[in-house]
Amino acid sequence: MSTVLSVKHLKKEYPKFTLEDISFSIEEGSIMGLIGRNGAGKTTTIKSILNLIHTTSGEITYFGMDLAAQEEAIKQQIGYAGGAVDYYKKKKIRQIVQVTKTFYSQWDDAAYRKYMELFELDEDKTPSELSEGMKVKLNLVMSLSHGAKLLILDEPTSGLDPVSRDELLDVFKALAERGVAILFSTHITSDLDKCADSITYIRKGKLQFSGSMHDYIEQNRAQGVGENLEEIMLHYEKENFHEKLAQ
Amino acid sequence: MKNLLNKEIKLAASPLSWLFLVFGLMALIPGYPILVCAFFICFGVFQSFQSGRENNDILYTVLLPVRKTDTVKAKYAFTSLIQMLGLVVAAAATLLRMLLLPDAAPYAANPMMNANQAFLAYMLLIFAAFNVIFLGGFFKTAYKFGKPFVLFIIVSFVMAGVAEVLHHIPGLTFLNATAPLTDPVMWGILGAAAVIYLIATLLSCKVAMKRFERVDM
Repeated sequence: MSTVLSVKHLKKEYPKFTLEDISFSIEEGSIMGLIGRNGAGKTTTIKSILNLIHTTSGEITYFGMDLAAQEEAIKQQIGYAGGAVDYYKKKKIRQIVQVTKTFYSQWDDAAYRKYMELFELDEDKTPSELSEGMKVKLNLVMSLSHGAKLLILDEPTSGLDPVSRDELLDVFKALAERGVAILFSTHITSDLDKCADSITYIRKGKLQFSGSMHDYIEQNRAQGVGENLEEIMLHYEKENFHEKLAQ
Repeated sequence: MKNLLNKEIKLAASPLSWLFLVFGLMALIPGYPILVCAFFICFGVFQSFQSGRENNDILYTVLLPVRKTDTVKAKYAFTSLIQMLGLVVAAAATLLRMLLLPDAAPYAANPMMNANQAFLAYMLLIFAAFNVIFLGGFFKTAYKFGKPFVLFIIVSFVMAGVAEVLHHIPGLTFLNATAPLTDPVMWGILGAAAVIYLIATLLSCKVAMKRFERVDM
Protein backbone atom coordinates (compact mmCIF):
# COMPACT_ATOMS: atom_id res chain seq x y z
CA MET A 1 0.00 0.00 0.00
CA SER A 2 1.29 3.43 -0.85
CA THR A 3 1.38 6.41 1.46
CA VAL A 4 -1.27 8.97 0.60
CA LEU A 5 -0.45 11.61 3.18
CA SER A 6 2.66 12.06 5.27
CA VAL A 7 3.02 14.70 7.98
CA LYS A 8 6.37 15.15 9.69
CA HIS A 9 7.15 17.32 12.72
CA LEU A 10 4.33 19.73 12.05
CA LYS A 11 4.43 22.81 14.25
CA LYS A 12 2.10 25.79 14.41
CA GLU A 13 2.59 28.51 16.98
CA TYR A 14 -0.20 30.82 18.10
CA PRO A 15 0.19 33.40 20.85
CA LYS A 16 -1.64 31.20 23.36
CA PHE A 17 -1.43 27.74 21.80
CA THR A 18 1.19 25.67 20.08
CA LEU A 19 0.69 22.57 18.01
CA GLU A 20 3.97 20.73 18.27
CA ASP A 21 5.82 17.93 16.56
CA ILE A 22 2.84 16.22 14.97
CA SER A 23 3.80 13.34 12.70
CA PHE A 24 1.61 10.70 11.10
CA SER A 25 0.94 9.04 7.78
CA ILE A 26 -2.08 7.54 6.05
CA GLU A 27 -2.02 4.63 3.65
CA GLU A 28 -4.22 4.08 0.64
CA GLY A 29 -7.60 2.53 1.56
CA SER A 30 -7.23 3.11 5.29
CA ILE A 31 -9.30 5.09 7.76
CA MET A 32 -7.58 7.20 10.37
CA GLY A 33 -9.33 8.92 13.23
CA LEU A 34 -7.86 12.17 14.45
CA ILE A 35 -8.86 12.37 18.08
CA GLY A 36 -8.46 14.67 21.01
CA ARG A 37 -10.70 16.73 23.24
CA ASN A 38 -12.04 20.15 22.17
CA GLY A 39 -9.16 22.60 21.70
CA ALA A 40 -6.51 19.87 21.50
CA GLY A 41 -5.40 20.91 18.01
CA LYS A 42 -7.38 18.67 15.65
CA THR A 43 -8.76 21.49 13.51
CA THR A 44 -5.39 23.27 13.52
CA THR A 45 -3.86 20.04 12.20
CA ILE A 46 -6.48 19.75 9.47
CA LYS A 47 -6.13 23.39 8.49
CA SER A 48 -2.35 22.95 8.32
CA ILE A 49 -2.53 19.96 6.02
CA LEU A 50 -4.98 21.81 3.78
CA ASN A 51 -2.63 24.80 3.66
CA LEU A 52 -5.35 27.04 5.07
CA ILE A 53 -2.97 28.30 7.73
CA HIS A 54 0.76 28.93 7.70
CA THR A 55 2.68 26.34 9.65
CA THR A 56 5.71 27.33 11.71
CA SER A 57 7.64 24.27 10.54
CA GLY A 58 7.20 20.71 9.35
CA GLU A 59 6.85 18.73 6.17
CA ILE A 60 3.55 17.79 4.52
CA THR A 61 3.50 15.56 1.45
CA TYR A 62 0.63 13.99 -0.49
CA PHE A 63 1.27 11.13 -2.91
CA GLY A 64 4.96 11.98 -2.56
CA MET A 65 4.37 15.61 -3.61
CA ASP A 66 5.25 18.55 -1.40
CA LEU A 67 2.14 20.52 -0.40
CA ALA A 68 3.71 23.95 -0.68
CA ALA A 69 5.17 23.26 -4.13
CA GLN A 70 2.31 21.32 -5.75
CA GLU A 71 -0.82 22.48 -3.99
CA GLU A 72 -2.99 22.66 -7.12
CA ALA A 73 -2.11 19.14 -8.30
CA ILE A 74 -2.68 17.78 -4.79
CA LYS A 75 -6.07 19.45 -4.41
CA GLN A 76 -7.21 17.77 -7.62
CA GLN A 77 -6.84 14.47 -5.75
CA ILE A 78 -8.22 15.23 -2.30
CA GLY A 79 -11.59 16.21 -0.90
CA TYR A 80 -12.52 18.11 2.23
CA ALA A 81 -15.71 18.38 4.24
CA GLY A 82 -16.14 20.35 7.41
CA GLY A 83 -19.01 19.38 9.65
CA ALA A 84 -20.65 22.74 10.12
CA VAL A 85 -19.47 24.60 7.02
CA ASP A 86 -21.85 24.99 4.14
CA TYR A 87 -21.35 26.98 0.98
CA TYR A 88 -23.81 29.06 -1.04
CA LYS A 89 -26.75 28.14 1.17
CA LYS A 90 -29.40 29.52 -1.18
CA LYS A 91 -28.02 28.25 -4.49
CA LYS A 92 -29.31 25.02 -5.98
CA ILE A 93 -26.95 22.06 -5.69
CA ARG A 94 -27.12 21.73 -9.48
CA GLN A 95 -25.75 25.25 -9.87
CA ILE A 96 -22.97 24.74 -7.31
CA VAL A 97 -21.94 21.50 -8.99
CA GLN A 98 -21.98 23.04 -12.49
CA VAL A 99 -19.43 25.59 -11.32
CA THR A 100 -17.36 23.29 -9.10
CA LYS A 101 -16.84 20.62 -11.77
CA THR A 102 -15.07 23.10 -14.07
CA PHE A 103 -12.12 23.17 -11.66
CA TYR A 104 -11.45 19.43 -11.71
CA SER A 105 -9.78 17.69 -14.63
CA GLN A 106 -10.92 14.23 -13.44
CA TRP A 107 -14.58 15.14 -12.81
CA ASP A 108 -16.78 12.11 -13.54
CA ASP A 109 -20.45 12.87 -14.25
CA ALA A 110 -21.43 9.21 -14.06
CA ALA A 111 -19.87 8.88 -10.59
CA TYR A 112 -21.59 12.11 -9.56
CA ARG A 113 -25.01 10.80 -10.57
CA LYS A 114 -24.33 7.45 -8.92
CA TYR A 115 -23.41 8.99 -5.54
CA MET A 116 -26.25 11.52 -5.68
CA GLU A 117 -28.64 8.62 -6.13
CA LEU A 118 -26.94 6.50 -3.48
CA PHE A 119 -27.17 9.29 -0.91
CA GLU A 120 -30.68 10.27 -2.07
CA LEU A 121 -29.68 13.87 -2.70
CA ASP A 122 -31.88 16.11 -4.83
CA GLU A 123 -30.05 18.48 -7.20
CA ASP A 124 -32.88 20.98 -7.06
CA LYS A 125 -32.50 21.51 -3.33
CA THR A 126 -30.30 24.16 -1.79
CA PRO A 127 -27.78 23.44 0.99
CA SER A 128 -30.03 25.37 3.40
CA GLU A 129 -32.71 22.74 2.83
CA LEU A 130 -30.40 19.86 3.76
CA SER A 131 -29.94 18.30 7.18
CA GLU A 132 -26.43 18.27 8.70
CA GLY A 133 -25.94 14.66 7.62
CA MET A 134 -27.02 15.40 4.06
CA LYS A 135 -24.60 18.34 3.91
CA VAL A 136 -21.72 16.05 4.80
CA LYS A 137 -22.94 13.60 2.16
CA LEU A 138 -23.11 16.39 -0.42
CA ASN A 139 -19.48 17.29 0.30
CA LEU A 140 -18.60 13.62 -0.02
CA VAL A 141 -20.35 13.42 -3.40
CA MET A 142 -18.42 16.43 -4.67
CA SER A 143 -15.13 14.93 -3.49
CA LEU A 144 -15.82 11.48 -4.88
CA SER A 145 -16.98 12.85 -8.23
CA HIS A 146 -13.59 14.43 -8.85
CA GLY A 147 -11.89 11.16 -7.98
CA ALA A 148 -10.49 12.15 -4.58
CA LYS A 149 -8.09 9.52 -3.28
CA LEU A 150 -8.07 11.04 0.18
CA LEU A 151 -10.97 12.55 2.12
CA ILE A 152 -10.18 14.93 4.92
CA LEU A 153 -13.19 15.41 7.15
CA ASP A 154 -13.38 17.73 10.12
CA GLU A 155 -15.85 16.33 12.63
CA PRO A 156 -18.22 14.98 9.99
CA THR A 157 -20.30 13.09 12.51
CA SER A 158 -20.93 15.86 15.04
CA GLY A 159 -24.52 16.95 15.06
CA LEU A 160 -25.74 13.78 13.38
CA ASP A 161 -28.36 11.46 14.84
CA PRO A 162 -27.17 7.90 15.69
CA VAL A 163 -28.69 6.40 12.54
CA SER A 164 -27.16 8.97 10.18
CA ARG A 165 -23.83 8.58 11.97
CA ASP A 166 -23.94 4.85 11.57
CA GLU A 167 -24.83 5.17 7.88
CA LEU A 168 -21.98 7.59 7.32
CA LEU A 169 -19.51 5.22 8.96
CA ASP A 170 -20.75 2.46 6.66
CA VAL A 171 -20.08 4.79 3.73
CA PHE A 172 -16.54 5.36 4.99
CA LYS A 173 -15.92 1.63 5.17
CA ALA A 174 -17.25 1.05 1.66
CA LEU A 175 -15.07 3.84 0.30
CA ALA A 176 -11.98 2.51 2.05
CA GLU A 177 -12.60 -0.88 0.46
CA ARG A 178 -12.42 0.89 -2.90
CA GLY A 179 -9.03 2.31 -2.03
CA VAL A 180 -10.03 5.77 -0.78
CA ALA A 181 -8.11 6.90 2.30
CA ILE A 182 -10.04 8.82 4.96
CA LEU A 183 -8.78 11.07 7.71
CA PHE A 184 -11.52 12.26 9.98
CA SER A 185 -11.40 14.17 13.20
CA THR A 186 -13.86 13.40 15.92
CA HIS A 187 -14.31 13.56 19.64
CA ILE A 188 -16.86 10.77 19.51
CA THR A 189 -14.59 7.79 20.10
CA SER A 190 -17.32 5.21 19.48
CA ASP A 191 -17.25 6.29 15.79
CA LEU A 192 -13.74 4.92 15.58
CA ASP A 193 -14.53 1.55 17.13
CA LYS A 194 -16.69 0.86 14.12
CA CYS A 195 -14.42 1.81 11.25
CA ALA A 196 -10.95 3.16 12.01
CA ASP A 197 -7.76 1.27 11.26
CA SER A 198 -5.49 3.76 12.92
CA ILE A 199 -5.66 6.80 15.14
CA THR A 200 -3.69 9.95 15.72
CA TYR A 201 -4.32 11.19 19.22
CA ILE A 202 -3.46 14.82 19.97
CA ARG A 203 -3.39 16.07 23.51
CA LYS A 204 -2.84 19.74 24.41
CA GLY A 205 -1.19 20.36 21.06
CA LYS A 206 1.20 17.42 21.32
CA LEU A 207 1.14 14.02 19.70
CA GLN A 208 0.10 11.40 22.24
CA PHE A 209 0.03 8.50 19.79
CA SER A 210 -0.17 7.73 16.09
CA GLY A 211 -0.51 4.21 14.76
CA SER A 212 -2.72 1.14 14.82
CA MET A 213 -5.84 1.66 16.90
CA HIS A 214 -5.87 -2.01 17.90
CA ASP A 215 -2.28 -1.85 19.18
CA TYR A 216 -2.99 1.33 21.13
CA ILE A 217 -5.98 -0.16 22.90
CA GLU A 218 -4.11 -3.39 23.65
CA GLN A 219 -1.12 -1.49 24.98
CA ASN A 220 -3.28 0.58 27.33
CA ARG A 221 -5.43 -2.36 28.33
CA ALA A 222 -2.28 -4.21 29.42
CA GLN A 223 -1.34 -1.24 31.59
CA GLY A 224 -4.80 -1.13 33.11
CA VAL A 225 -5.54 2.33 31.70
CA GLY A 226 -8.82 1.40 30.05
CA GLU A 227 -10.69 -1.15 28.02
CA ASN A 228 -11.61 1.04 25.06
CA LEU A 229 -10.69 4.37 23.46
CA GLU A 230 -13.18 6.33 25.50
CA GLU A 231 -11.85 5.03 28.80
CA ILE A 232 -8.25 5.57 27.70
CA MET A 233 -8.95 9.14 26.59
CA LEU A 234 -10.83 9.91 29.79
CA HIS A 235 -7.95 8.53 31.83
CA TYR A 236 -5.36 10.80 30.19
CA GLU A 237 -7.51 13.86 29.81
CA LYS A 238 -8.77 13.86 33.38
CA GLU A 239 -5.40 13.30 35.10
CA ASN A 240 -4.76 17.00 35.52
CA PHE A 241 -8.35 17.80 36.20
CA HIS A 242 -8.43 15.49 39.22
CA GLU A 243 -5.17 16.93 40.54
CA LYS A 244 -6.55 20.48 40.24
CA LEU A 245 -9.83 19.47 41.82
CA ALA A 246 -8.02 17.99 44.81
CA GLN A 247 -6.03 21.19 45.46
CA MET B 1 -9.02 32.45 -14.09
CA LYS B 2 -11.99 32.16 -16.45
CA ASN B 3 -13.45 29.48 -14.17
CA LEU B 4 -12.97 31.65 -11.10
CA LEU B 5 -14.64 34.65 -12.70
CA ASN B 6 -17.49 32.35 -13.69
CA LYS B 7 -17.70 31.22 -10.05
CA GLU B 8 -17.82 34.86 -8.91
CA ILE B 9 -20.69 35.59 -11.28
CA LYS B 10 -22.73 32.41 -10.77
CA LEU B 11 -22.18 31.69 -7.07
CA ALA B 12 -20.70 34.60 -5.14
CA ALA B 13 -22.33 37.64 -6.76
CA SER B 14 -25.34 39.30 -5.18
CA PRO B 15 -28.11 40.23 -7.65
CA LEU B 16 -27.77 43.76 -6.26
CA SER B 17 -24.36 44.09 -7.93
CA TRP B 18 -26.16 43.86 -11.28
CA LEU B 19 -29.24 45.78 -10.25
CA PHE B 20 -27.23 48.75 -8.98
CA LEU B 21 -25.74 49.25 -12.46
CA VAL B 22 -28.98 51.11 -13.17
CA PHE B 23 -27.60 53.91 -10.98
CA GLY B 24 -25.39 54.78 -13.96
CA LEU B 25 -28.53 56.41 -15.39
CA MET B 26 -28.37 59.00 -12.62
CA ALA B 27 -26.16 60.85 -15.11
CA LEU B 28 -29.43 62.09 -16.63
CA ILE B 29 -30.67 63.82 -13.47
CA PRO B 30 -30.25 67.61 -13.52
CA GLY B 31 -29.64 69.55 -10.30
CA TYR B 32 -28.38 66.46 -8.51
CA PRO B 33 -24.88 65.36 -7.38
CA ILE B 34 -24.79 62.69 -10.07
CA LEU B 35 -21.35 61.45 -9.04
CA VAL B 36 -22.94 59.48 -6.20
CA CYS B 37 -23.86 56.94 -8.89
CA ALA B 38 -20.24 55.73 -8.71
CA PHE B 39 -20.70 55.18 -4.98
CA PHE B 40 -23.91 53.20 -5.54
CA ILE B 41 -22.25 50.99 -8.16
CA CYS B 42 -19.48 50.22 -5.65
CA PHE B 43 -22.14 49.64 -2.99
CA GLY B 44 -23.57 46.98 -5.32
CA VAL B 45 -20.15 45.28 -5.42
CA PHE B 46 -20.00 45.50 -1.63
CA GLN B 47 -23.24 43.49 -1.49
CA SER B 48 -21.47 40.63 -3.26
CA PHE B 49 -18.71 40.66 -0.67
CA GLN B 50 -21.33 40.55 2.05
CA SER B 51 -23.14 37.67 0.37
CA GLY B 52 -19.78 35.94 -0.20
CA ARG B 53 -18.95 36.12 3.49
CA GLU B 54 -22.36 34.72 4.47
CA ASN B 55 -21.79 31.81 2.12
CA ASN B 56 -18.17 30.98 3.02
CA ASP B 57 -17.14 31.91 -0.50
CA ILE B 58 -13.48 32.57 0.31
CA LEU B 59 -13.06 29.23 2.09
CA TYR B 60 -14.80 27.42 -0.76
CA THR B 61 -12.46 29.10 -3.24
CA VAL B 62 -9.18 28.43 -1.47
CA LEU B 63 -10.12 24.76 -1.15
CA LEU B 64 -10.43 24.50 -4.93
CA PRO B 65 -7.37 23.46 -6.91
CA VAL B 66 -6.34 27.05 -7.60
CA ARG B 67 -3.54 29.28 -6.38
CA LYS B 68 -4.50 31.22 -3.25
CA THR B 69 -3.66 34.48 -4.98
CA ASP B 70 -6.06 33.67 -7.84
CA THR B 71 -8.89 34.13 -5.33
CA VAL B 72 -7.82 37.77 -5.04
CA LYS B 73 -7.44 38.24 -8.79
CA ALA B 74 -10.96 36.86 -9.34
CA LYS B 75 -12.46 39.35 -6.87
CA TYR B 76 -10.64 42.21 -8.60
CA ALA B 77 -11.76 40.93 -12.01
CA PHE B 78 -15.39 40.74 -10.89
CA THR B 79 -15.25 44.20 -9.30
CA SER B 80 -13.67 45.72 -12.40
CA LEU B 81 -16.27 44.03 -14.59
CA ILE B 82 -19.12 45.59 -12.62
CA GLN B 83 -17.37 48.97 -12.56
CA MET B 84 -16.79 48.93 -16.31
CA LEU B 85 -20.40 47.97 -16.97
CA GLY B 86 -21.50 50.79 -14.65
CA LEU B 87 -19.23 53.15 -16.55
CA VAL B 88 -20.76 52.01 -19.85
CA VAL B 89 -24.28 52.70 -18.55
CA ALA B 90 -23.23 56.14 -17.27
CA ALA B 91 -21.31 56.84 -20.51
CA ALA B 92 -24.39 55.97 -22.58
CA ALA B 93 -26.50 58.41 -20.52
CA THR B 94 -23.73 61.02 -20.78
CA LEU B 95 -23.54 60.67 -24.56
CA LEU B 96 -27.30 60.99 -24.77
CA ARG B 97 -27.09 64.30 -22.91
CA MET B 98 -24.10 65.55 -24.86
CA LEU B 99 -25.40 64.63 -28.31
CA LEU B 100 -29.13 65.15 -28.04
CA LEU B 101 -29.78 67.45 -25.10
CA PRO B 102 -26.85 69.89 -24.84
CA ASP B 103 -29.07 72.94 -24.78
CA ALA B 104 -31.87 71.59 -22.61
CA ALA B 105 -32.62 74.24 -19.99
CA PRO B 106 -32.21 72.03 -16.88
CA TYR B 107 -28.70 71.08 -18.04
CA ALA B 108 -27.61 74.46 -19.42
CA ALA B 109 -28.44 76.16 -16.11
CA ASN B 110 -27.39 73.27 -13.91
CA PRO B 111 -25.74 74.43 -10.67
CA MET B 112 -24.60 70.87 -10.02
CA MET B 113 -22.25 68.76 -12.09
CA ASN B 114 -23.11 68.08 -15.73
CA ALA B 115 -22.50 64.70 -17.29
CA ASN B 116 -19.46 64.93 -19.57
CA GLN B 117 -15.97 63.44 -19.86
CA ALA B 118 -14.90 65.01 -16.52
CA PHE B 119 -17.84 63.33 -14.79
CA LEU B 120 -16.82 59.94 -16.22
CA ALA B 121 -13.24 60.64 -15.14
CA TYR B 122 -14.40 61.33 -11.58
CA MET B 123 -16.34 58.07 -11.65
CA LEU B 124 -13.15 56.21 -12.54
CA LEU B 125 -11.31 57.91 -9.68
CA ILE B 126 -14.01 56.85 -7.20
CA PHE B 127 -13.83 53.30 -8.56
CA ALA B 128 -10.06 53.40 -8.10
CA ALA B 129 -10.57 54.58 -4.50
CA PHE B 130 -12.93 51.65 -3.91
CA ASN B 131 -10.40 49.17 -5.24
CA VAL B 132 -7.56 50.58 -3.16
CA ILE B 133 -9.46 51.25 0.07
CA PHE B 134 -12.13 48.57 0.16
CA LEU B 135 -10.65 45.64 -1.76
CA GLY B 136 -7.14 46.27 -0.45
CA GLY B 137 -8.49 46.62 3.10
CA PHE B 138 -10.71 43.53 2.87
CA PHE B 139 -7.84 41.24 1.93
CA LYS B 140 -5.91 42.12 5.11
CA THR B 141 -8.22 39.59 6.79
CA ALA B 142 -10.44 38.28 3.96
CA TYR B 143 -13.24 38.60 6.51
CA LYS B 144 -13.59 42.08 8.01
CA PHE B 145 -15.01 44.63 5.61
CA GLY B 146 -16.74 47.16 7.87
CA LYS B 147 -13.82 49.52 8.41
CA PRO B 148 -12.60 49.58 4.79
CA PHE B 149 -16.14 50.22 3.55
CA VAL B 150 -16.78 53.06 6.02
CA LEU B 151 -13.46 54.60 4.98
CA PHE B 152 -14.47 54.29 1.33
CA ILE B 153 -17.85 55.98 2.06
CA ILE B 154 -16.06 58.96 3.60
CA VAL B 155 -13.46 59.23 0.84
CA SER B 156 -16.00 58.84 -1.98
CA PHE B 157 -18.28 61.54 -0.59
CA VAL B 158 -15.35 63.90 -0.08
CA MET B 159 -14.29 63.20 -3.67
CA ALA B 160 -17.83 63.86 -4.94
CA GLY B 161 -17.92 67.11 -2.91
CA VAL B 162 -14.58 68.29 -4.28
CA ALA B 163 -15.69 67.46 -7.82
CA GLU B 164 -18.86 69.52 -7.31
CA VAL B 165 -16.78 72.48 -6.08
CA LEU B 166 -14.15 72.37 -8.83
CA HIS B 167 -16.36 73.59 -11.68
CA HIS B 168 -17.38 76.67 -9.64
CA ILE B 169 -13.77 77.83 -9.38
CA PRO B 170 -12.96 80.57 -11.91
CA GLY B 171 -10.92 79.12 -14.73
CA LEU B 172 -12.33 75.65 -14.21
CA THR B 173 -15.90 76.30 -15.31
CA PHE B 174 -15.16 74.42 -18.55
CA LEU B 175 -15.38 71.26 -16.42
CA ASN B 176 -19.13 71.70 -16.36
CA ALA B 177 -19.67 72.19 -20.10
CA THR B 178 -22.77 70.43 -21.36
CA ALA B 179 -21.30 69.13 -24.60
CA PRO B 180 -17.50 69.45 -24.80
CA LEU B 181 -17.33 66.78 -27.47
CA THR B 182 -14.35 68.24 -29.26
CA ASP B 183 -12.48 69.60 -26.24
CA PRO B 184 -9.11 67.83 -26.10
CA VAL B 185 -8.59 68.86 -22.46
CA MET B 186 -11.76 67.04 -21.42
CA TRP B 187 -10.71 63.91 -23.30
CA GLY B 188 -7.27 64.26 -21.71
CA ILE B 189 -8.86 64.34 -18.24
CA LEU B 190 -10.81 61.18 -19.01
CA GLY B 191 -7.70 59.48 -20.39
CA ALA B 192 -5.63 60.44 -17.34
CA ALA B 193 -8.33 59.11 -15.01
CA ALA B 194 -8.41 55.83 -16.95
CA VAL B 195 -4.65 55.49 -16.53
CA ILE B 196 -4.90 56.28 -12.79
CA TYR B 197 -7.71 53.72 -12.43
CA LEU B 198 -5.70 51.05 -14.19
CA ILE B 199 -2.49 51.64 -12.25
CA ALA B 200 -4.26 52.00 -8.88
CA THR B 201 -6.28 48.80 -9.45
CA LEU B 202 -3.27 46.75 -10.56
CA LEU B 203 -1.09 47.96 -7.69
CA SER B 204 -3.87 47.44 -5.18
CA CYS B 205 -4.41 43.90 -6.52
CA LYS B 206 -0.71 43.15 -6.09
CA VAL B 207 -0.74 44.42 -2.51
CA ALA B 208 -3.98 42.52 -1.76
CA MET B 209 -2.42 39.28 -3.08
CA LYS B 210 0.52 39.71 -0.70
CA ARG B 211 -1.81 40.49 2.19
CA PHE B 212 -4.07 37.52 1.49
CA GLU B 213 -1.07 35.20 1.20
CA ARG B 214 -0.33 35.99 4.87
CA VAL B 215 -3.90 35.39 6.07
CA ASP B 216 -4.63 32.27 8.13
CA MET B 217 -8.08 30.98 7.29
